[in-house]
Amino acid sequence: MSSFPLPFWFRALALWALPLAALGQSAEEIVARADQVRNPEFPFRFNLALTEYVAGKPVGQNALAIYSKKDPATRQFRNLVLYEQPPADAGKAVLLDGRAFWFYDPASKSSVRISPQQRLIGQAAVGDVLTVSLAVDYVARLSSTETIQDAARHPRSCWHLDLQAADDLSTYAHVEYWVEQGTYHPVKAKFYSDSGRLLKILYYRAFEDWLGGTRPTEAVILDSVDSSRVTTAKSSGHRPANIPENWFQREFLPRFQGE
Amino acid sequence: MRRGVAAVLLLSPALAAFGQESEAELSRIPIEEPSTPATSAPGPLRRVTYLESATEPSLLRSALLVPYPPPLPPAIEQRLLLDATLFWAPLHDLAFTLSGLVELRAADDIPFPTHENIRVDVREAFATWQPFPGAYLDAGRVNLKSGVAIGYNPTDFFKARAVVEPLSADPAVLREVRLGAVMVRAQYVWGRAALTAAFAPALAAPSPILPDAELPSFDPMLGRTNAVNRFLLKGTFDLVADISPEVLAFVQGRSLSLGANVAESIGKSVVLYLEWAGGRQASLTEEALSFGVLTGSLPVAVVTALEPNPALSFQQDASLGLSYATESKLTLWLEYHLHQAGFSRQDWQGWFQTGLSPSGSFLSGALWYIRAYALDQVEPMSRNSIFARADWVDAFVFRLELSGFANVDLSDGSTLAQVSASYALSDAWGLGALLSANVGNRRSDFGSLPQFLSGVLTARAYF
Repeated sequence: MSSFPLPFWFRALALWALPLAALGQSAEEIVARADQVRNPEFPFRFNLALTEYVAGKPVGQNALAIYSKKDPATRQFRNLVLYEQPPADAGKAVLLDGRAFWFYDPASKSSVRISPQQRLIGQAAVGDVLTVSLAVDYVARLSSTETIQDAARHPRSCWHLDLQAADDLSTYAHVEYWVEQGTYHPVKAKFYSDSGRLLKILYYRAFEDWLGGTRPTEAVILDSVDSSRVTTAKSSGHRPANIPENWFQREFLPRFQGE
Repeated sequence: MRRGVAAVLLLSPALAAFGQESEAELSRIPIEEPSTPATSAPGPLRRVTYLESATEPSLLRSALLVPYPPPLPPAIEQRLLLDATLFWAPLHDLAFTLSGLVELRAADDIPFPTHENIRVDVREAFATWQPFPGAYLDAGRVNLKSGVAIGYNPTDFFKARAVVEPLSADPAVLREVRLGAVMVRAQYVWGRAALTAAFAPALAAPSPILPDAELPSFDPMLGRTNAVNRFLLKGTFDLVADISPEVLAFVQGRSLSLGANVAESIGKSVVLYLEWAGGRQASLTEEALSFGVLTGSLPVAVVTALEPNPALSFQQDASLGLSYATESKLTLWLEYHLHQAGFSRQDWQGWFQTGLSPSGSFLSGALWYIRAYALDQVEPMSRNSIFARADWVDAFVFRLELSGFANVDLSDGSTLAQVSASYALSDAWGLGALLSANVGNRRSDFGSLPQFLSGVLTARAYF
């Protein structure tokens, strides 16, 4: 007869949770702290250089300029993305504002509303993934603590968090998220679709000091649908930006030329 | 204790598998990286320029129920296009935009060498002044577009007569190859709204509708874009949350039209949109024949013989549609188009009966003119139609895009269908192929057209 009526799995889970309880930290707080590591709270702009690899070989490059500003009402970043390279895409712009997404093509000089799913087709989605406030869009639960290898194969002691979409409009239905204990540096994330399909794996790397914090400047995105494809995203040129509210109107898109 | 050991033993394979999985992921990370593309702050001058070669063979129908007036569309055409868009902002509050193309062309209906082998179009040439933040004043030739639908835009009031020599009937292409109107435009963009007012004055007499082979070589074609005074006032505002409708009032000459459009996401994958416009106007037949007489393209006697009804009535146009995006980068669109001034089933019966009547040969020019007029106005020929489109990015292989659309005339089921493929060889080079078919019986909208099949092969180089 056992002196512990609770099931074994419950006791194992409790053992993992105890250290956190002692620290008084919830999963939501960990995700929020990691959000603060990834991006500053104030409006800022940065350049993003994307390189597409197929079977390990570079096959295409994009250069984007991204302007991000947090919406005080939703606490989520709103993004304006301007395509600068390659020439065929230069001048295209995407407005990602809460649940309103608009794509502007300078060739047709018209703006088209796109769905949350459709925005994932373009490269602008990478910028959106990098600035998304996961603590706002997802409900977090601590899964375990683990030591995993980061993108440079260095061991990192991480909280392994399980994030479920807070509503059905979040970009991904489910995210697995690894955050380094102590530093709150995001190390790795896995993004899943509504159907449970693993879509992409993201490694954060190249942490540098910019805009008041030590933050990742690069992301490596492994496509899990087509395993031959990898995208690297290098950010640079971070600086505070004065981003007026009217930049987030679709009528502004044809006027958008960056700063 | 034994339970703990058992748990460790049970977990060991799982941990090993986790390690293998992690190793497989890390091994995919590229080791050597190419130099990254330039991401410096943009300079005052930006340009997008490309050279494109387009070969356009066509297969014509051998016999038409209603004879087509000469010249017939060319059986083959070769075009070489130098397209440039320049944006120059010498000052923070002052910018200039120039967009246009130079075209060399040869076709079996164009003699060679003549001035017809070269064409120059200035699509846009305007200055923008920003007197204070959020306010913009534009003056010059401007392409002003409105609307949220993709197959037909009833609220895109400046589309009429603006499309020049499109490479295909794809509505996306029609939006790209059109001339702006000379206008003055004022716009103010607030945080939750925007207001635009534009005035395009009459600067030239209306020019006749010309076949592509007879388009002028060097001409701003103001007779197409600025033949009548036009005024547009439109505003967009955040109604609730992320719903931002646009309302429009458009005056052309003495005719007022009103319009509205709105688009909204439904769930994660669907966008629902509606575009509507309405105003008092005559039927398509009356408008076309009146314009033919006005421009000297049709004799009054021929028009009188067709007995058009000049009565004005409130006519509505609408596009109701939705888009659906899948996880596989495939996006589908479905739209219903209403063009109340267009042909009903009875109008089509009348068109064919007149064309087949003993006076048909006398009237066929006017009958086909009505259809050329609808095309020139970028309006549907028929009252009710369905438009479906599919676009698949990275189809089968990276950088291959497949797309296709079908425009179905609901009065007779005839269809304009088109499939296309484009492949980016590199960031600078691209290849494309397109096949278009007018399908239907001989007594139908698309089945009665002289072109049965047409194709386009393109090669484009950005520099």
